[in-house]
Amino acid sequence: MATAGLPWWRNRRLIPWLVQAGVGLAVLVLVAFLVTNLVRNLTAAGLLLSWSWLDNPAGFDIAETWLPFDAGLPYWRGLLAGLVNTLRVVVLGLVGSTLLGTLAGTASFSGNALLRSLARVYVEVIRNVPLLLQLVFWYFVVFLQLPNGSAAIQIPGLVLAKSGLYLGQPELVNGVWQASMRVSVEFGALLTGLVVYTGAFIAEVVRGGVAAVPAGQWEAARSLGFSPLQTLRSIVLPQALRAIVPGLNSQYISLAKNSSLAVACGYTDLYSVAETTLNQTGRAVEVVLILLGSYLVIDLTISALMNGLNQLVQLKER
Amino acid sequence: MIEARGVEKWYPNGFHALRGVDLTVEQGEVVVIMGPSGSGKSTFLRTFNALEDFQKGAITVDGITLSDDLRHIDAIRREVGMVFQQFNLFPHLTVLENLTLAPVLVRKLPKAEVQRRALDLLERVGIAEQAHKYPGQLSGGQQQRVAIARSLCMEPRILLFDEPTSALDPEMVQEVLEVMQGLARDGMTMVVVTHEVRFARQVAHRVVLMDAGVVVESAPPEQFFANPQHERSRQFLSQIS
Amino acid sequence: MDSPLLRRLRRDLFATPLDGLISIVLVVALAASAAGLLHWALVQAQWAVIQANSTLFAVGRYPLDQQWRLWLLTILLAAATGLSWGLLRALPRPDRPARLWPFNDRLAAVLLAGLALGLPLLLRLGTAIQLRWWVITALLLLARWAAGRWGRRIPDPVRRWIPLIWPLLYLLGMVLISGGLGLVNVSPSEWGGLLLTLLEASFAILLCFPLGVLLALGRRSALPLLRWGAVLYIEFIRGAPLITLLFLGQNILGFLLPGGLAPERVWRAAWVLTFFAAAYVAEAVRSGLAAVPLGQLEAARSLGLAMPQALIHVVLPQALRVALPATVGQFITLLQDTTLLSLIGLLDLLGTARTVMANPAFLGKNAEVYLVLAVLFWGCCAALGLGSRALETRLNTHSTAKA
Ligand SMILES: Nc1ncnc2c1ncn2[C@@H]1O[C@H](COP(=O)(O)OP(=O)(O)OP(=O)(O)O)[C@@H](O)[C@H]1O
Ligand SMILES: [Mg+2]
Repeated sequence: MATAGLPWWRNRRLIPWLVQAGVGLAVLVLVAFLVTNLVRNLTAAGLLLSWSWLDNPAGFDIAETWLPFDAGLPYWRGLLAGLVNTLRVVVLGLVGSTLLGTLAGTASFSGNALLRSLARVYVEVIRNVPLLLQLVFWYFVVFLQLPNGSAAIQIPGLVLAKSGLYLGQPELVNGVWQASMRVSVEFGALLTGLVVYTGAFIAEVVRGGVAAVPAGQWEAARSLGFSPLQTLRSIVLPQALRAIVPGLNSQYISLAKNSSLAVACGYTDLYSVAETTLNQTGRAVEVVLILLGSYLVIDLTISALMNGLNQLVQLKER
Repeated sequence: MIEARGVEKWYPNGFHALRGVDLTVEQGEVVVIMGPSGSGKSTFLRTFNALEDFQKGAITVDGITLSDDLRHIDAIRREVGMVFQQFNLFPHLTVLENLTLAPVLVRKLPKAEVQRRALDLLERVGIAEQAHKYPGQLSGGQQQRVAIARSLCMEPRILLFDEPTSALDPEMVQEVLEVMQGLARDGMTMVVVTHEVRFARQVAHRVVLMDAGVVVESAPPEQFFANPQHERSRQFLSQIS
Repeated sequence: MDSPLLRRLRRDLFATPLDGLISIVLVVALAASAAGLLHWALVQAQWAVIQANSTLFAVGRYPLDQQWRLWLLTILLAAATGLSWGLLRALPRPDRPARLWPFNDRLAAVLLAGLALGLPLLLRLGTAIQLRWWVITALLLLARWAAGRWGRRIPDPVRRWIPLIWPLLYLLGMVLISGGLGLVNVSPSEWGGLLLTLLEASFAILLCFPLGVLLALGRRSALPLLRWGAVLYIEFIRGAPLITLLFLGQNILGFLLPGGLAPERVWRAAWVLTFFAAAYVAEAVRSGLAAVPLGQLEAARSLGLAMPQALIHVVLPQALRVALPATVGQFITLLQDTTLLSLIGLLDLLGTARTVMANPAFLGKNAEVYLVLAVLFWGCCAALGLGSRALETRLNTHSTAKA
């Protein structure tokens, strides 16, 4: 095609490049502007990017950790302990919300009208109330109101008291519960809140997945003499999984991100350690980078695992 | 009206879709392009109004040479109408709005005048009473007639058809072909990719056979169907009849 | 002896013994919790914490002597709502039934009147304030009635400009709230409660939408640089928890901009919310764009429409229609996400609640306060969801096109 002597603003081959160059340049200028400011302001504040402060003693304590931690240990150990605390709630949350979500999702196909509407109400209520509000509700209204001592709620193998949740064989020693395993009410509230919240979304994912299975599958299974529950479990759910797994992936990732609201229930997760760290050191840029990086890694890990699962599920077809 | 010389096109994936195609279409001429699937008919047709670009050769439409000049491309698109296999009506606009959108936006004509013309055109393709319906409420044949009217509303000097009847139920093919026949009678320059042999026989001035990105044969329909010159044409005709 | 009701009960609740057992357990459990809740709400709960702090919950520490500006804004909003509502009914489009007072509207009007009568009493608001709410509600309904009655008589050119009252009102609202044009400035740090929540949410919703559409177009662009830029932005935002981004906004924005240019804390949060939601809206719009067949763009281009015209008149209207439910879903999430502002020290509804409960007089009234907030949010979000579904069915009535 002839292009000689054509002004650039009318050249259809040139314009895409010009647009890209323009946008690229604008972004570059903006980034350069922000970075120069950042460097200038950080220099003025004496906070130029550095990681050596991570080795300084933290000077704060964390109430509940899996990794041993105390105020004398360096910041990076504190952040690591926070990360482990985050991972703990995320992993348990994934399991719990999957169970609850599957239960509620399949309940919406129950023959029992009451159960069906209960599942609906659960989803509609939970999804329309902010998670943060639910978390503080669980913490302040439910878990902090638990009775202590002998009045505590006792289920075989489990005791719920204001002083904590005890598993194993809890026993009351001098008015104080003791057991092989104890978690704080803060952790309990956060986990409950996340599970109940995410469960509602997973219920929708499951419901959508099951609804996507052709009605003929139900009929075929029923005509073979399967009970409704059997049909669901061994015929429909395996097929529905193909539609469910990708939806689960995004729900799992939001659960991981939502766990950062732990401060609302007084649980010390990565974010809350990071906040304390910032307040003590003023190292805003480094702390934000650590935060963003950590959550990115968590997200990517979940995605990778779910992708693997997805391939497994989709492959079974052939 | 259309003058294509040695047009060659490679798709971005490296596929050589057009391998030097020549074609001349005179004013008022109706040219039917036939050929097996994948021979490059659509690709070729779509280069005429710059929906596809090409790498070698030259195309001149209505005296304007297609180049990278956007002004030329805009001008050509105004003069060349196109009717698609899948109709491509705008489902969120009524039939009338489908017709008036482009003339008002592109030609900047007053809305009232365009609406009058649009209603005339709908009358001409036989669906005036559907003007305020949405495309989704019409049958396939009606939709394709609306699509033709939509192209005509821009008052094009050339009309391109890419398999306009292939997506239609058999009983609706005729109503669309009749509209096209009427246009041909009125002297519209048309390039039609189609497999409708009867249309080609009755309406076309010339039939062009494409295969593997080149024009194999170009002849008046009587000659093309009765006495094809090339082995490839004979083979093709035996397959479709 | 088989009445239809009995038969239905049996089918729905007692189809099998297991079903029956489940039903009975559920009924007992639900009845017990309902009774417990009712008892708590009527006997144990002390609603004084809401009644005593209603102003705080509504507008935070907005100066008392300037609150007339907010009342004025509420009056204008009520009038505009009534006007738009009435006109919507008075000026039916060809595809819209010409009923002046459809059932839903009557229901809404009765509900509004009931709320206006009941809520102030329930909250034990002062007589003066109670009166104001009555007048405002009456004004809304009056405007609705008048616009419905005489809307047709408004000449066409005037009618076309009426939707403009909304952006104008928004700007005017900003002035009324923050000051300027001769009004005393009220610093954003004094905004709070519902006022702050709605302000942040509406600001972010209004701005994140165009931004999200641009990002979605970028992500589907043929130009690699735009595409990768959009992908990078969207995935970066979606990979990070909102709280870390708010944290970034509060602690790093000051370093990124030359001294003094960084906006107020309230506005920083609003911008972060906007940029955050834009990435999610972009994904919703992208799925809408993907649902528009390529032939639509080709048809538009071959008719001679320029690229922007083709996008605005052909592609986007269809894409946004498909993306509507997901987009409104994001708006609902955004409204809920404003509660995170309380974690960075702003006094939105939840933040206000926390300060109220830090007051020794109201210590331990968590259940009452959080329950009211939950009902409030639930109402707003459910209403938004219902509205979006209604809009969706209205848009889909004609054009479930196969074209
Ligand atoms: N976007 C594309 N990228 C790569 N190859 C393409 C593209 N579009 C078409 N092709 C290839 O180019 C060749 C010609 O395609 P074209 O659509 O022009 O064929 P056609 O003659 O119209 O066939 P049909 O009768 O099936 O419509 C085909 O082999 C097709 O696979
Ligand atoms: Mg083709």
